[in-house]
Amino acid sequence: MKTTYKQLTWFCAIISVVIIFSSFYSNRESSKNTFLFPYKQAGLNERQAAAHLLSRFTYGATPGEIDEVVKIGLEKWFQNQLSGDLPDDSLNLVLSSFDALALSNKEVAAKYPNQGQILRMVVKDGTVDKDSVKKDGKVYRDVLQQYMQNNGLKPRQDLYRQFISQKVLRAAYSKNQLQEVMTSFWFNHFNVSITKNDCAAFIPAYERDVIRPNAMGKFSNLLVATAQSPAMLYFLDNFSSVGTKVTSGSTMSMAKMRKPKSARGLNENYAREVMELHTLGVDGGYTQLDVTEAARVLTGWTVYPMGVDTNPIERPGFVHEGDFLFTPNRHDNSVKTVLGASFGPDGGYQEGQQLLNMLAHHSSTAKFISGKIAIRFVSDHPSEKLIDKMAQVFRDKDGDIKQVLIAMVTTSEFWSATSVREKTKSPFELAIGAVRSVHADIKQPYQLFNWISRMGEKMYYYQAPTGFPDKGQYWINTGALLNRMNFGLALASGRIPGVRVDLIALNNHHEPESAQAALRIYSQLIMPDRDLAATIKRLTPMLNDPELIKKVDVASAKVSAPQADMDQDEVKTKVLGNSTMLAQVVGVILGSPEYQRR
Amino acid sequence: MVSRRGFLKSGGLALFGVGLMGGIPSFIAEAAASAKYQAPYKKKKTLVCIFQRGAMDGLMAVTPFTDEYLKAARPTLFMSAARNANGNSLIDLDGRFGLHPAMQGFEPLFREKRLGIVHGIGSPNTTRSHFDAQDYMESGTPFNKGTSSGWLNRAVGLLGHDALTPFTAVSLTSAMPRSFYGDNPSVSINNLQEFAIQMRGNQAGANLAAKSFEDLYDQTASGLLKDTGKESFEAMKMLQKADTKNYKPANNVIYPTSALGNSLKQIAQLIKMDVGMEVAFAESNGWDTHFNQGAGNGIFARNVEDLSNSMISFWNDLSAYQDEVTVMTMTEFGRTIHQNGTGGTDHGRASCNFILGNDVNGGLIHGDVKPLAVENLEDGRDLAVTTDFRSVFSEVADKHLHISNDRILFPDWKGDQIGVMKG
Repeated sequence: MKTTYKQLTWFCAIISVVIIFSSFYSNRESSKNTFLFPYKQAGLNERQAAAHLLSRFTYGATPGEIDEVVKIGLEKWFQNQLSGDLPDDSLNLVLSSFDALALSNKEVAAKYPNQGQILRMVVKDGTVDKDSVKKDGKVYRDVLQQYMQNNGLKPRQDLYRQFISQKVLRAAYSKNQLQEVMTSFWFNHFNVSITKNDCAAFIPAYERDVIRPNAMGKFSNLLVATAQSPAMLYFLDNFSSVGTKVTSGSTMSMAKMRKPKSARGLNENYAREVMELHTLGVDGGYTQLDVTEAARVLTGWTVYPMGVDTNPIERPGFVHEGDFLFTPNRHDNSVKTVLGASFGPDGGYQEGQQLLNMLAHHSSTAKFISGKIAIRFVSDHPSEKLIDKMAQVFRDKDGDIKQVLIAMVTTSEFWSATSVREKTKSPFELAIGAVRSVHADIKQPYQLFNWISRMGEKMYYYQAPTGFPDKGQYWINTGALLNRMNFGLALASGRIPGVRVDLIALNNHHEPESAQAALRIYSQLIMPDRDLAATIKRLTPMLNDPELIKKVDVASAKVSAPQADMDQDEVKTKVLGNSTMLAQVVGVILGSPEYQRR
Repeated sequence: MVSRRGFLKSGGLALFGVGLMGGIPSFIAEAAASAKYQAPYKKKKTLVCIFQRGAMDGLMAVTPFTDEYLKAARPTLFMSAARNANGNSLIDLDGRFGLHPAMQGFEPLFREKRLGIVHGIGSPNTTRSHFDAQDYMESGTPFNKGTSSGWLNRAVGLLGHDALTPFTAVSLTSAMPRSFYGDNPSVSINNLQEFAIQMRGNQAGANLAAKSFEDLYDQTASGLLKDTGKESFEAMKMLQKADTKNYKPANNVIYPTSALGNSLKQIAQLIKMDVGMEVAFAESNGWDTHFNQGAGNGIFARNVEDLSNSMISFWNDLSAYQDEVTVMTMTEFGRTIHQNGTGGTDHGRASCNFILGNDVNGGLIHGDVKPLAVENLEDGRDLAVTTDFRSVFSEVADKHLHISNDRILFPDWKGDQIGVMKG
C-alpha cells in the first residue's frame, strides 16, 4: 500500500515535469523561432538566401520582395508563411465576385449539371421532343440554353472557369504563398481530375475544404479527409465498392441506397492507390493480397446521395458526415489482414479509420512523403541523408507537415549549390512567377490558364492519379520550350488579353534610353539575385544593330492598330508606352533559360 | 504500285542537307555517328493511332446484319444490306457483316485487303465509365490505375534505339494524351504552324527574338535547357522550311476540314518530311451517341463519314509512303445491343476497330461475334469482349514497329495474337 502510494507520487511528479517542460517548449516554439537557416555555411549571403527561400516557398519573388524578407528576417518570414494567416483582404475582395466558389457540393450538383444530365432533364420535362434532340444544332442549343436559364442552371464549364481563375489569382496575389504552394503540392499528390466527369463537379470543394485547410497540418488528417471526399471517392471508384461477404446490416432497404450500375462487388482502385501513391509508395512493402484486403476494409465508404432529400441517416452503424457516408450494408464484416494487422470482424466504419491511421504512420510513408517534399522544394535528386532526416521528424512529430518543412530548410543541403536554382519551373510556376515579376494586373485569369495548358500543364485535367511528374525533364521538351519563349513575349508585349503589364511603371516610370539599357535594368528587376553578365554580354551586339531595331519598329507599326478582339485594357496597354523594343527585351528575359529555373 | 524511294532522292535528305542554316541538324548528325543506329536516313515506319473518344457503336459501324436478335433490339437503328430506295443499305462485306454506308470509301481498301477489322474487341475490365475505360486502354493496364506511363510512350522506349529526333512520337492534340504519358520523348502539337517563335504580325520582331533565344539557350549552363533549346530551334527551322502553311497534299486529296482531318493532314506532312516520327496520335470526338444516333443519316453517319474520309484522304495523300504507315483506330468500349428510349444506345462492352496498312491481314473481319441471343451477351445486354485490345495493339506494334516486348508494353498480359497482321 505504502509502496504503491510512493510510486504514484513519483509518477505524478514525473508527469508534471514533462508537462511543464513540454508546455515551455511549445511556448518557446510559438513565440519565437527555434530554428536558424545555415545559409552562411553554404556560402550564401543574406540576400541570396532570401532569394532562394522565395524561389522555393512562393510562386516567385515580386520586385522588392527580397529586401522585404531580409528586413523581416528570413526565419521570421518563414515562420509567418508556416502560420499562413497574413491578411489577404484585397485578394478576398476580388475572389468574392466569383459566385460559385463558396457553394457546397450539393449546391454545385444542383446548379451545374453536366451535359448528359441536362439532356435527360429536358427530355423528361418534355421541353424537347426526344425525337428532335440534336437534329438541328443551333435551334437545339438555343432551346437548351433557354431551359437552363429558366431553371437557374449554369454550364459546367463556368464552374471550372471560376475555380481555375481563383487558383491563378491566389497563386499570383496571396500573401500566404506557402499555403498556396503546399495546396498545389498536396492536390497533385492526391490527384483527381476534371477529365473524369463523375468527380469533376466536386473538385472545387475538394481543394477548398479538403486540401487547403490541411495543407500544413497533420498528414493523417489530410489522408482521411481525402479518403472521405466525393472527388476522391468518385475518382478512384471506392464509392461503388461493395463487400462480398456482407453478413449484417442488410435490414436497411437497398432500394433506398440506389446501387450504382458498376457496383457489382469489390473495387480495388482506391485501396491500391492509397498505398502506392498516397502513403507507402510503390516499394513500400505491400502485396497484392494487402491491396485486396484493404479494399475489403474500405467497403461501404461512399458518397451520400446528393440529388434526393438529404436528411441525415441516423441508424446504427451508419456514419454520415457532410458528403461522406459509411453504409454498413455494403461493408465486408469478416476478418481482414493488411500488412500483418487484423481488421474486424464487425469493426464497421472504424476499420477504415484504423487502416488509414496505420498507413499514415507507417515508416514507408514517412520516407515516401519526405522524398516527395524534398523533390518539390530542394532538388530533383535529394540525398538519402536528407530524406532520412525529414522522415525521422515525420515519425517523431506525428506527421506534422510544418515540422518536416522546418527540418528540411534547416539542413545544409537545402542551401547548397546542388540545390540553388536546380529546379525547373513548371508552366504554372513560370506563368505565375512572370506575372509576379512584372507586377501584372490580371483581369482575365483564365487567359493565363490557356497559356499554362499550352506549355504543358493543364492543371486539374491530369488524367492519372499519380499527378504531374515533379521533375525538370518532364516539363522541358521541344514543343513546350518554344511555348515558354512565346509566353514571355506575349506577356511582355501585352498580347495576353486581360493581363495588363506596365513595364515603364515597373522601373519607377523611367523609360530606358536604349535597348541595351533596358536589358541591363530589367534583367536586374526581374532576376535580382542572378549574375546575368553572360546573358547581357551575349545579347548586347544584337540590340546594338540599328538596322534590326528599325526593322522591328517598322514591322510593329504595321500591326499597331488595336485588334477588334482587344478589350479596353489592352488598348490602354499600348498607350502606356511599352515600346516594342522594351517589350521585346523583357519578353526575351522571361523566356530566357535562366528564368526557367528557380 | 507503291514506289519505294531511295534515300538519295528523298526530299528529306535535300531538306536536311542544304537548306538549313546550320546544315544537318545535330540530332541527325549524332544519330549518324551513333553506333546504335547505322542508317539515319532510312525511312522510319510510322504507327498512327486514332482514339475515338466516347465509345463507338461497333454494331452500327460494322453490322452483323443477318442477326435477327440485333434487328429486333434496334427497331429504328438497324439497317440491312438489301438495296433500298433511300440509300440506307449496308455495304455487304462478307455475307454476314455490313459496313455503314457512310463509310463507303473503306470498301475498296477492304477488298484490296489493306483494311482489316476486328470485331468484339474491348477491355477485360468491365467498367462502363468513359474515363476509366479510356484510362485503362491508354495506360495499357486494365486493372491498374496507378500506371504512370501510357502504352505508346512505352512503345517509344522499345523501338530499339534512342529517340533520334524531337518528333519520334507526336500527338496532334492540344494536351498530351494519356497514351503518351511517360519518360520517353514525345510532344503534343496542336498546329504545326504554331511551332515557331511568334509575335503576331511582327515577323522582324519574331526573328530577332528567335535569334536572341537561340543564342541564350546555346550558352546556358543547364544541360537540359541547352540541349532541348537546340533541338527546338532545329525542329522549328525544319518545319519552317517545309512551309507547312501552304501544304499541298498529293493526288489532289482534299482532307475533311474536321479536327481529325486536320490532325491527319499534319501527320502526313511530318511523315513526308522524314522527321523520324515513328508514333503518331490523333483524336476523334462525339461517339457517345445516347440520343438520336440516326441510321443511314444523322450523328453517327456523320461521325463515321468523317472517320473514313479522313483516313482515306490520309492514305491517298501518302501513296508514296504506304508501306511505311499503319493506321489503327481504338475506342474505349462499345454500346448496348438494345437501342434506348431516346433513339440512341448506352454504354456497352465490345466494339470494333479498323487497321489500315500494307502489312495488315486485310479484307477480313477478325475476332469472334456470336449470335446476339441473350445467353451470348455480356451481363445479358452487351456484345461480349472476345478479343482483348492488348492482343491487337501488341500484334500491330510487333509487326509494324518490331516491338515484341509485351512484358513492358502490356505488363500483366499474356495472350495470343490473332493474326490481324501479315506474317
